[in-house]
Amino acid sequence: MPAVQMAGVTKTYRGKGGTPHKALDGLDMTVDTGGVHGLLGPNGSGKTTSIRALLGLVRIDAGEMQLLDRPVPAGLTGVIGDVGALVETPLFFPGFSGRRNLRLLAETAGVPRDRVEECLELVDLRERADDRFTGYSLGMKQRLGIAAALLKAPRLLILDEPSNGLDPAGIRDVRELIRRLGSDGRTTVLVSSHLLAEIQQVCDSVTILARGRRVASGPVASVLSRAGTGDVRVGVPDPAAAAAVLGAAGFTVSPAPDGQVLVHGAPAPGEITRVLAEHGHYVEELVRVTPDLESAFLAITGGQA
Amino acid sequence: MSAVTEQPTSAPGPTSARRGGSLFRAELHRFTARRFIQALLGLAVLGWLAAVVIGLLQFGEPTDADYATARERMAEVIAGEEAWRADCAVEAEAVGRPVDEFCGPPLDASTWRVEDFLDTAPFDLASAAGPGAIGFAAAAAVLAFLVGATWIGAEWSTRNIVALLFWVPDRLRVIGTKIGVLVLAALGIGVAAQVAWLAMGWLLRTLVGTDSALPAGFWGELLAAQARGVLLAVLVALIGFGLANLVRNTGAALGIGFVYFAVVETALRIYDPVLERWLLSINAVALVLPGGVPVIDYSVLTTGPEGPPTYLVTNLQGGLVVGAFAAVILGAGVWLFVRRDLQ
Repeated sequence: MPAVQMAGVTKTYRGKGGTPHKALDGLDMTVDTGGVHGLLGPNGSGKTTSIRALLGLVRIDAGEMQLLDRPVPAGLTGVIGDVGALVETPLFFPGFSGRRNLRLLAETAGVPRDRVEECLELVDLRERADDRFTGYSLGMKQRLGIAAALLKAPRLLILDEPSNGLDPAGIRDVRELIRRLGSDGRTTVLVSSHLLAEIQQVCDSVTILARGRRVASGPVASVLSRAGTGDVRVGVPDPAAAAAVLGAAGFTVSPAPDGQVLVHGAPAPGEITRVLAEHGHYVEELVRVTPDLESAFLAITGGQA
Repeated sequence: MSAVTEQPTSAPGPTSARRGGSLFRAELHRFTARRFIQALLGLAVLGWLAAVVIGLLQFGEPTDADYATARERMAEVIAGEEAWRADCAVEAEAVGRPVDEFCGPPLDASTWRVEDFLDTAPFDLASAAGPGAIGFAAAAAVLAFLVGATWIGAEWSTRNIVALLFWVPDRLRVIGTKIGVLVLAALGIGVAAQVAWLAMGWLLRTLVGTDSALPAGFWGELLAAQARGVLLAVLVALIGFGLANLVRNTGAALGIGFVYFAVVETALRIYDPVLERWLLSINAVALVLPGGVPVIDYSVLTTGPEGPPTYLVTNLQGGLVVGAFAAVILGAGVWLFVRRDLQ
């Protein structure tokens, strides 16, 4: 059972002067149960609109959506108890303490007070829980938002840009928390981010959006390999001579860092080894260049990030 | 969060079994915890205390000398009135018009009360109860408007209402619960205001008032006016809530309210005097005032002694018109809240 399914979802906003803007353009997305799924895309690609649509905050024009096998928004009331969400900035009463804000939310859903304390502990806010929300740093606000999302002990946790405003230590802790939740065998985490490194570090699978459409999806490793260039980095004692040999044999080459030779678009690395050996150049190192997510993302979206 | 990996998991423990949630109870807690609302209610209590003190200072038992001065003053006024009428009668004869028609009915000094000419008069519950109830109803209505506007306005300012939808996605239920809490609060404010007036009246009557017998039907009429005052507080609270919900901001709602009363009603009166009978302010007063409010129809030109005709805005019309204002404003806000995209 997928935790999240979106099929052909379209959403058009009316901008100033009535100009239509297609935020989602037939978006398809599937998030399998368990693990951490990333939602990646440049600003305006439809990440937050997708999340808002799933949570019933935005009415879609066309398409179908499901959360934990329930159609939404029609069945949202039945499934919301299993879904925790933090969308953009945490929304709390500034004059209330963190604890009071959480207790009010908990009371709404009948979550016991013990759980409030557990969640405050979980995000390391217990000592500052009686401070007013307005006095919290950005990072503390974000952590309280995550605590609120966790109150229901959700089966599906949706986090929109969860690292916003956090210091490096806070970012590391949030990523650890996400990874831990995603691997507990119970929780599915859907995390949107514009931080490519974050997605690469914490996600098992990813959906990449551009202009309201899905442009790639699947396990992170698979998406990376799909965007692979076929480049191979070759280490030899005499890079200049080796480059000349490979160039004469029809390979496209260029210098690589550390005195190595970069062979572009090599379909069979073994062929490189053979050509060089025939000319007395013995390979010390041969590595297929794996693109990072940033490169893959830029390649897939055509550099519109 | 450095110790995050040593913390409990996201799943609730055995003691964390979920009980049935109560949105109404949570909203009630949220309402009572709001500092601005607490401050408004606190100011209202202070205002009541100030009114009691002023009343105690203003009213008192007059001395014989006070009565003598008052009788003198009343006699002077009666003499002045009679002299004016004598002059007027001469003028009426000169123009050939009946005196009563030209100068009005003759003065009936027997109905005048010396107490009305006292600088320090005893508090008279019989005459003050009605106006006091109306004054307290007006104060309660203003307070209820502010509370209604800030109750939902702050939710929009903090966007907390959006966060609430992550827990209760049924928008109609969310807004309906908030309205329910507000109605309860406005009822409380209206009733408390009228109880406060009764308490103040009792205090003034006991300490600085006259203990003359209350007229027949006094309590019936007073309680009816007070009940209508409570209804006004509820309806006005809903109008404040509806406006702030429409514009998603407390300050803007108050601004709209001010512009409506200061500009729109004045403009409508000038545009067509007949419209006055349908204005919110007139109907709000008519709802509470015993017998309603007669509105002079200045659109009808007359030269006779009977003057222009009057239109009586009854209690019932007042209630229906204020209720219609509340229903339209509230309904539009609720409809938009249920339908629109939330950012």
